This record gives sequence, C-alpha cells and structure tokens, in this order.
Amino acid sequence: MSKKNKQFRERINWKKELSLLPGYLILIIWIGFTAVILFWILAASLSTSKEIFSGTVLKFASGLHFENYKDAWQVQNVSRYFANSVLYSVVACVAVLLISAPASYALSRFEFAGNKALRFFMIIAMSLPAVMIVLPIYAFTASMHIKGRIILILLYTFMNVPYTTIYLLNFFGTLSKTYEEAAMIDGCSLGRAFWTIMLPLVQPAIITVTVFNFLGVWNEFFMALIFATTEDTTPVGVGLLQIVNSMKYTGNYGGLFAAVIIVFLPTFILYLFMSERIISGVTGGGIKG
Amino acid sequence: MKKHRATIILFILPCVLSLFVMYLYPVVRTVIMSFFSIESVTAPARSWTFNGLANYISLFTSSAFLTALWNMVRIWLLGGVVTLALALLFAVILCSGVRFKKFFRAAIYLPNIISAVALATMWIQYVFNYDFGLLNGILKEFGVSNVKWLGTDMKFWSMLIAYIFGATGYFMLIFISGIERIPADLYEASTIDGAGKVRQFFSITMPLLKGITKTNITFWTITTTSFFLWSKMFSPVSSENSTLVPVIYIYDRVFGTASNTTRNAGLGAAAGVFLSVVVLLVYILLEKVIKNDDLEF
Amino acid sequence: MTLSLAGCASGSTQTTTAAASTTTAAGTTAAATDSATTTEGAAAASDATTAGSDSESADSTDFATGDYSSVTLNYWSMWNSNEPQGEVVAAVAKAFEEKTGATINIEFKGRDLSQVIQTSLEAQDEVDLFESSYQNISKNFKDYVYDLTDMATAADYDSRSYAALNQQVIDWAGFLACITEQPQVGGVFYNKDIFEASGITETPETWTEFLDACQKMVDNGYQPLALDSAYLDLAFGSHLERVIGQDAIINLAENGGWSANAGVISAADQIIDFVKAGYLADGAPDEYPSSQNKIGLTGKVAMVICADYVVSEVNNNTGTEVNWGLFNYPSVEGGVNSMNAYAGANSLAITKYSQNAQAAFDFIMYLTSGTNDQTMADTATQIPADPHNSEPAIKAGSIATLEATTTPLIWGMGIDYNSDKQTGIVDVIAQLYEGKFASGEDFAKALDALY
Repeated sequence: MSKKNKQFRERINWKKELSLLPGYLILIIWIGFTAVILFWILAASLSTSKEIFSGTVLKFASGLHFENYKDAWQVQNVSRYFANSVLYSVVACVAVLLISAPASYALSRFEFAGNKALRFFMIIAMSLPAVMIVLPIYAFTASMHIKGRIILILLYTFMNVPYTTIYLLNFFGTLSKTYEEAAMIDGCSLGRAFWTIMLPLVQPAIITVTVFNFLGVWNEFFMALIFATTEDTTPVGVGLLQIVNSMKYTGNYGGLFAAVIIVFLPTFILYLFMSERIISGVTGGGIKG
Repeated sequence: MKKHRATIILFILPCVLSLFVMYLYPVVRTVIMSFFSIESVTAPARSWTFNGLANYISLFTSSAFLTALWNMVRIWLLGGVVTLALALLFAVILCSGVRFKKFFRAAIYLPNIISAVALATMWIQYVFNYDFGLLNGILKEFGVSNVKWLGTDMKFWSMLIAYIFGATGYFMLIFISGIERIPADLYEASTIDGAGKVRQFFSITMPLLKGITKTNITFWTITTTSFFLWSKMFSPVSSENSTLVPVIYIYDRVFGTASNTTRNAGLGAAAGVFLSVVVLLVYILLEKVIKNDDLEF
Repeated sequence: MTLSLAGCASGSTQTTTAAASTTTAAGTTAAATDSATTTEGAAAASDATTAGSDSESADSTDFATGDYSSVTLNYWSMWNSNEPQGEVVAAVAKAFEEKTGATINIEFKGRDLSQVIQTSLEAQDEVDLFESSYQNISKNFKDYVYDLTDMATAADYDSRSYAALNQQVIDWAGFLACITEQPQVGGVFYNKDIFEASGITETPETWTEFLDACQKMVDNGYQPLALDSAYLDLAFGSHLERVIGQDAIINLAENGGWSANAGVISAADQIIDFVKAGYLADGAPDEYPSSQNKIGLTGKVAMVICADYVVSEVNNNTGTEVNWGLFNYPSVEGGVNSMNAYAGANSLAITKYSQNAQAAFDFIMYLTSGTNDQTMADTATQIPADPHNSEPAIKAGSIATLEATTTPLIWGMGIDYNSDKQTGIVDVIAQLYEGKFASGEDFAKALDALY
C-alpha cells in the first residue's frame, strides 16, 4: 500500500517517461505476445477439435466445452499423472532438504579434509549433461529389479542435492556462530542445535530453494521419459507428451489443451504468490541449469 | 571441531553418498562404457568387449551425429547471441526506471515455469500453423503469403524461435541481478559528465557485466548440450534432420527406434562423454578469455 | 516411453503404435461421448463366453476348455487400461479365468512396453505373455520367445489367420514367434464421394490411370493427395517399390549408389511431375496431422497414402464421417511391380521360459479368434485377427487386401533401413515433395551426398 502512495506523490516526469517509450513498447509487445498465446491455450481447452483445426477457437461457436476438463482428468489419465507428480515433487523436496541442509551447514561451518573438493564436485555435477549419468543408472535399476515410483523419487531427490546444498551454503555462512555456541553452552548437542536453532534461521532460503526444486521436479522430462515405464509411474511432463501423441489419434485436442491447463495451473498459482522468491532463487543461488 | 566429528560425518554422509550414487559412479561407468562395444545398455559388464576409440571414430564418421552436432552448434551460437542480446535488452530496459518493473519481470520470466511440453504444443499447433496460425495471420495483414514454418527449411528456425522465447526470461533475470549490483553513483557521475544512455551502456554497463555474461554463456552452453525436449516435440513421430540434436541421437541409439531397433549403448556413452567435454572446454575457454575483473557473481 | 514417442519413429512399430492408438482413439472418444458403447462391447465379450458357443463362426470358447485352476499367467499388455483394446482384453481375461480357473494378472504398460520388455526378458522377469509389433517380436525378441509352431498346428491356427503375416514372422524369426492380434494394411485411402463427383468410376490400377484420376479431381475443384511429414517415407517408398522393388531399396539405403539406379531417377522424376501438376493438397507436405485432417475438414482433399488406422484418425480428429475406400498403390509402367501392399500387426508372444505356455497359448487363441476377436474388431474399430470375422464398415476391403497379399512390404519399403542415414534420406524426400529438385538426377545426387 505504502508503495502505491509513494507513486501517487511522485510527480510523473513526462520527459523521462517519453525517453523510456521505446522500452515500454518492446516490453508490451513481448508480454502481449505471451498473453495472446496463453489466452489461446485457455480458449482451445474449451473448444472442439474441429474448431481448433479450422482456426475458429476464439469464436466459441459451439459454446464452452468444459467437459474437455473432465475428459482430460478422467479418461486421459491426467488425474493419475497429477497424483504421481505431486508425490514425486513433495517427497523429493522434503528428502533433498534432509540430505542437503545438514551437509550444507557442516560445509559452511567446519573446515575438514575434502570440504573444498566436495563443493567443487557439486558444482561440476550441476553442469553435467543428464545423458552422462542416465545409462549406468538405467542399467543398475534394471539389474537390481528396482521398479516403480521409488526410482524417480530417489533420482529427483539426488538430482537436486548439489544445487540445494550450494544454495544453502551461502545462507548458513552469513549466520553468526554465537547462536549455536550459546545453545551448546546450554547443553545442546551440535545436532540438536542445528535442527532447533540454525535451520529455522535460514527458513526463507529453505522456502525459496524448495519452491525452486518443486518447479524443477514438476516440469522434469528427460529422466521421467526414461524411467517412468508404466502409466502408474508417469508424471505430468511425460504424461502430457503421451496425451499429445495419443490425442492425434483420439482426436480430442480440446482435451489435450485442457490437460495443458491442468498441468500448468499448480506452477502458475505458485508463481502468482511466490514469483519474488522464485526469481530470487534464480539470481541468488546463481546456478540452476 | 574434534568433539563434533561424529556429527559432522553424520551430516555430510548422506550428501556424499547421494553424490556418489547419482554422479560419481555413473560418470565413471559412462566413461568406461564409451571404450567398449556394448549393444544393450543393460548388458552386464562381462559381456562388454573393449574396442578402444572405435566408438568415438564411428561417432565422428556418422552423418547423423554430425548433423546433430551442426544443429547444436547453430543453436548454441545463433540462438545464444539472440537470447543473450534479448535478455540483456530487457534487463537494461527494466533497470532504466520503467514503471511496473516487477510485473514486467515476472511476466517475461513466466514461460520458464510452464511445462515446455505445453509450450511447444501451443507453438506447433497454433503459432506456426500453416492455415490459421498466428504468424501467418500477421503476415497476411501485411500482404505476405503464408509461410510454411514447419517445412524442412524453416523447421529448425521455428524451433529455435520458440526455444528462445522460453529461455530469454531466465537469462534476463541473471543480467538484472548483475546490473543491480553496479553502483548507482557510477551512472550519476557519468550523467553529470554528459554521457547519454547509450554511451553509459557501452562504457559502464557492458564492461561491468563481463562476469555475468560469462556465467550466462556457461549456462547457455549447459542448456544447449542438454537440448532434447523441443526437438522431440518438433519431430514427435521420428527424428528428423532439421531438428536432430546430440541427445536425441544418443536416445535413439541407446534405446533403438521403432524402424530400426539396432542399439548401441557404447556409442551413446561416447556421445555423452563428448558432450560433457564440450561443456568443460567452453568453461575453461571462457575462464581464459574473459577475466573476472568485475563484480563477483 | 521410448516407443510411444520414438515408438512412433517411423518403421513398422510406428504403424503399430499409431494403429494402436488409433483404435484407441475410436474407443476413447466413444467412452467420452457415449460411455455405453465400450462397456457394451466389453460386456458382449464376456457374454460371448459365458453364454457358450455361437455355432456360426469358429468359437473362442474352443480354447477355454482346459483346467488351469493352479495356473497364474502374467500378461504385459501394450494397451492402456482405458483404451477399448484394454477394456476388451480385461473382459476376455476375466471370462477365461471363470471358464478355466486360471488367474491372469494383466499389467497395462502402454506403448512403452517395447522398450521395457527387452530388459525384463533378459532378466527373465515373471512374464508369460506380452504384446508388441510382430516385427519387433520376430526380429528383436526372437531369442526370448516360445516357438509356437506345434501348438499352432494343433489348434489349426493357419485356418484362423492371415498366411502372409505368419510367413513374414517365420521368415524373420525362423519359427512362428507370435500370434496376430491386430492386423494392419496400407494403401491409398480415399474419399469415395470425391471420386464419384469427379466422374472416376474405377479405382486407378496404373500410374497413368492414377494421374488421369488426379487431373479429373483437379478439374472438378478437388485436391487429390494429402501428405504429412510423418508419412513421407511411406509415400515415396510405395512409389519407388513399384519401380525397383523393396530389396533394391534396402540395398540402396544401406550402401548408397542412388544416382547409378535409373529406377530411382525415373521414380523421382514422376514425383516431380506429380507435384508440378499441382496434385498435392494445399500446404502439403505439411506437419502431421494437418494435411490428412483436411480430408475431413474441407471435404476437398481426396486421398492419403497410409495404413488403415488413418480412417479413424481423420474421422475422429475432424468430427466427420468420410465415405472411405481403399485401393492398392498403382503399378508403375516399366517397374518391377510386385503389387504387394504394406501390412503389419501387433501380436502376442509367449516367453521362452514361461512355465505355462499351453495355458498362455489357449488364452491368446481365446482372445484372437471367434466371437471375442469380433468384439475386439468392433469395439476398437480394427481389422479382425481372424479372417472369418467381419471388418468394421469404414475399413471395408481390408480383409480382402490382406488375404490377397503374399509378401507384405515393411513400413517405408526399406527407405528407413539405414538408421544412420534415415533422417537424412527422409529430409531429401521432403524436399522432393516440396518441389526443391529440378530433376530426378538432382534428387539422387542429394541422396548420395549423404554417404
């Protein structure tokens, strides 16, 4: 609110605004384009295939087809893909914190042999192309008869360990040592001090990195393509692709775009409320390919 | 320190183990695989036969891989120049005092949070459609006849345009964070000296963004070597020359395609190793060429 | 996953994948709009079995006579549970369980099955029977599947199946490796109404007649041929096969030397003339499925070269009922003209290490013959696996074509044979149809430049 008031009080400097006009123009064209295509997807999700293929989506000649959403959710399996994705992202986001937060804390607080090497290794790991690691993992899970959702849960967890650890490092580094020293004088063990005192102090960073991890897992595609081998384990990204491929034959393109909207919605809502955090996740953590 | 040793080990161990399982072991094994003749990716190690550099040699004599590589280079160079230039342009505009900066910034980044499968579907079915697509509709207004955006000679460019559109926001954010770290008094001083916006850009902004640019180029290189999904979406039925990239090549060779089910996991591994080396080389090269003399990112 | 995407990747599995989903298509749409249809179908399946024999055609129940009460069959299916095929399979399995006391565990794997199954077969996972394209089974999995020859002879399988498909399996695998579940056939699919309106009374049998027909259609304001990028290999392959034959194409694809082959040059010249004459639909070659959809959407486009699933694809995509017909790709004057057609199948195979091969075989026969097969054909709009049954109306003529085929052609007639050059070759073919080449020599040179 206060900001708005400030803007009111600020006199509009027309000369300055005029010099910025080309900038505004470029921004508006780009965003206008984004808006048009998003709106088109929304409109297509409420149209019939025939309307989509004859380019009359925006006319809604045959009314709004909300049944496309029902069809996508039930017949096209989106409900199942959706549930899988929720499971993968929630479990992986929690698990990665359990692994990364303590490690990150230890790395930032204590000098020990291998500390530097470990950090360096994680940065390398973040820049590796995924194809460099999938073949042995695929062979390993096959030979060990590891099946089902557990594979992707583990992969998504491990995959996010380097980024999460590195991201949290900076935040633990900024905390004063007096916190845990005081706690330990009171008889707290280091482990306890970490969980009850240090971790809550970096809560904002944890929320940011978790939102970021969530988006990453939700939209992940390559690993899922290789490791989700039955419809029971398929998450939304690959599920959408399967719908895209089968819609060509099922002919319900309206349902396809309804599925697109359903898949897009959770990340969009998250973005509406947390865009600042997500953006600071990109720029603050620095590295996320 | 000493009395905490047990706790520290406990704290570090899960992380180390996960890195070992997820990265170290697979990388080492992939490198080894690249020197062996292996048909099925799941074949046990005892059935592998050593064949030295043969995989690498057949990789670079394979016309499909060379096509894939050429496409990747074009994506990297041309796509990179355009994406980073657009990203920088938006960043500069947003940092020049425009209103609604936060809104604009969030809107430009938005495509990054949408599932790329959804985005690609929209581009293919709507924007590039020959009969009623958005682009051909706009062209029609200007009296230009319909363009076959998805024909053999345009498909690569269409894919690149769609990809750039999605990627720009991410690199813009990183540029913004760099620009915001440039002390404002530098600009004030130069304004007093009578320097215009354009000159300020070239004399202050650009030189101080060297480090950030380097970061961006590194990221761009990483994303380009992993380029996969867009290619898959633009040629969903079978791989096509115009959209073939190394990861698609690897995927087809390792798991086989429907029309040709001969598989070669060793070749796929070699291609993977090659891609990783490319990333590493670009990184080293950038370190040598662009000195980190400005604000540390 | 591979195969539902890469799966589409040209070649025969492409067809199968596509076909599978096509039929799916029919079913899912049915399920969406009128869920009664599929349920009825599935119910009919179990009726057929519980009600006992229907004396007319060979009856499925012949094969559900054993006592398998201690038997458990693990069945990995390439269908999805919500597809019509999946629903029929589930209903038939249930009926089989009731008749024989066996237990059948079905895992619906979807099209990815072809990728997963290899690993599972190597590891001898608990699978008794599975589905895949017959080419995949006979070529890639032949070392892991049961030789069905004896059981098939005992069951008189030859009289309930298409000889050409079985022979193809034997040629590839060396033995009968699988039982046909969903046959497919290729050719030129056309809108009968447009032929009639253009005064074309007989379907063309030679290239000259074909061109005449095209000219008549153009004269009457129609666009003769739809062509999408996904079917370029089939379109040109069909033509080139008539001129030089499939074996020659395979040889060229593998080793190059296209320019030295007069047939390639003349075939390409004929296509160049065809394109120049304006016989391709507006925008063709287009991005799949835009061009073929125009058959339904505009009502002005007449033909498409594809496999039988295209008819339900177009009907579903565009919400129209095209009056479909099918004819074999015309012969080309001066060519070798085998007059074979593309044919393929999705089939069922039994693992070599299965402990219950006979029970699995009985179940397969129960599913793929007689009334159950008819239910499958009707529910999923596909060609019946048992030639005694009748095909769905929109696929009229497909059983006859299949029975007339002696040696089925493979998808793309060998164009896709060389995995390394395949994308390059298809790219050059696309340029051919885009009118980029002035002469057949230029086209052949462009192909040779790939080697």
